[in-house]
Amino acid sequence: MLRKRIIFTLIYSDGFFTQSRNFRLQKVGDLGWLEKHYQFQRISFSIDELIILNASKNAKATTDFASVVSQLTTNVFIPVAVGGGIRTAEDAALLFKNGADKIVLNSALANNPRLVKILIEHYGAQSVIASIDYKHHDGINEVFILDGTEKIDYLLNDYIQYVADLGVGEIYLNSIDQDGTGFGYDFYTINDIKNLINIPLIIAGGAGNVRHLQQGLQTEAIHAVATANLFNFLGDSLPNARKIMLDAGMNVATTNEVSKWNL
Amino acid sequence: MNVVIVDYGMGNIHSLIGALRYIGVQNVTVSDQYQVLKNADKLILPGVGAFYKAMQSIKEKKLDQSLYDLVINNYKPILGICLGMQLMCLSSTEQGEHAGLGFIKGTVRRLNDNKTRIPHVGFNQVLVDDHLKLYRDMTGQIDFYFTHSFKAETDFPINQCHCHYGDAFIASYEADHIAGVQFHPELSQKNGLKLLKNFVEHF
Repeated sequence: MLRKRIIFTLIYSDGFFTQSRNFRLQKVGDLGWLEKHYQFQRISFSIDELIILNASKNAKATTDFASVVSQLTTNVFIPVAVGGGIRTAEDAALLFKNGADKIVLNSALANNPRLVKILIEHYGAQSVIASIDYKHHDGINEVFILDGTEKIDYLLNDYIQYVADLGVGEIYLNSIDQDGTGFGYDFYTINDIKNLINIPLIIAGGAGNVRHLQQGLQTEAIHAVATANLFNFLGDSLPNARKIMLDAGMNVATTNEVSKWNL
Repeated sequence: MNVVIVDYGMGNIHSLIGALRYIGVQNVTVSDQYQVLKNADKLILPGVGAFYKAMQSIKEKKLDQSLYDLVINNYKPILGICLGMQLMCLSSTEQGEHAGLGFIKGTVRRLNDNKTRIPHVGFNQVLVDDHLKLYRDMTGQIDFYFTHSFKAETDFPINQCHCHYGDAFIASYEADHIAGVQFHPELSQKNGLKLLKNFVEHF
């Protein structure tokens, strides 16, 4: 049976990993901090996928970011999706070369659909994740690009259709309202859009504890739950979350036998 | 131990190189040169992307001839990963009908659209056969990471293990010194590291 996935998202901005709340970023710590508090190589064995997003204001300095990705992914043997500021095929190539297994596109979906198609053709649909940021306003869901700063003309439901038609492999749906709140995912919207999507759906924005992740994974339409909350999942929280889910008989991947293998 | 990753310009090999080093392979080289491939103890054919483009690049670099000589004439062990396992089959129907390397009597076609969401992405269980070298020390259902839209099929009695996504499909094949896995061992945590170690040690 296809397993559901637990994804950890890291948001990088000009040298620091950050905690985002409703898309306002707060610096938390650098690579050293992350290593100290998360022991990344070890933690990576209890998540199914890692997403690293570049929110740097400094012209999205892709070269520096690529080097951070390369360092972060050393001895990390899970899929890594990388995005933020990808404007050209060269940007994407650089990230793939530095450890990305997939790329995450957001603003380019609206601004440069031709680039999206080129990347899908070159790397395959399964290597391209469409990231969609939305916000609730007067009973409708509006879509934002450029790190949540620019509203576009599409409403969420139409945009999802448009993005799926571009041929992307997965959708990463992020609620700006729930982002960083720890209040739980926006199940109301997820329920509303679930029938529009026939590719894997990753949900983000709002997870504050294990129960939220569990609620997400128990929802049929959801293939993967993501959290970018650096504070709520410190230390052993992610390994523990996974253990709780496995003990509860949930459909997540297991590496039970590893203890007897001498790797 | 000298493992050479066949370079035809496609696919992310960052994690693969890391995984091979992690399990203790001293020399990991990436090359398209016949002499380098010839000196390898084991070959790995990686790959992400479209079948036709990959075969085009392989032919431009004359890797089809090099690999035929090394793998078929000289029994050099090879592991194909994802697109790499498909490329070793006879043909694929991805973007028209295209010939592959033809080491394995199998064909490649799209997963069943009617039953499932495509691409098939995520960890899924493979019912392993521990008599096979690839799965030594493993039993039952083992989780591996998949990300693909196409699958290999064969009517021939080639050793194979299956995974279920809509229908059962070939997750891996093993014919003497030639093996292929549809999943990504380098992205499958310790389960994948163990499989790579088995390939390196037992082929």
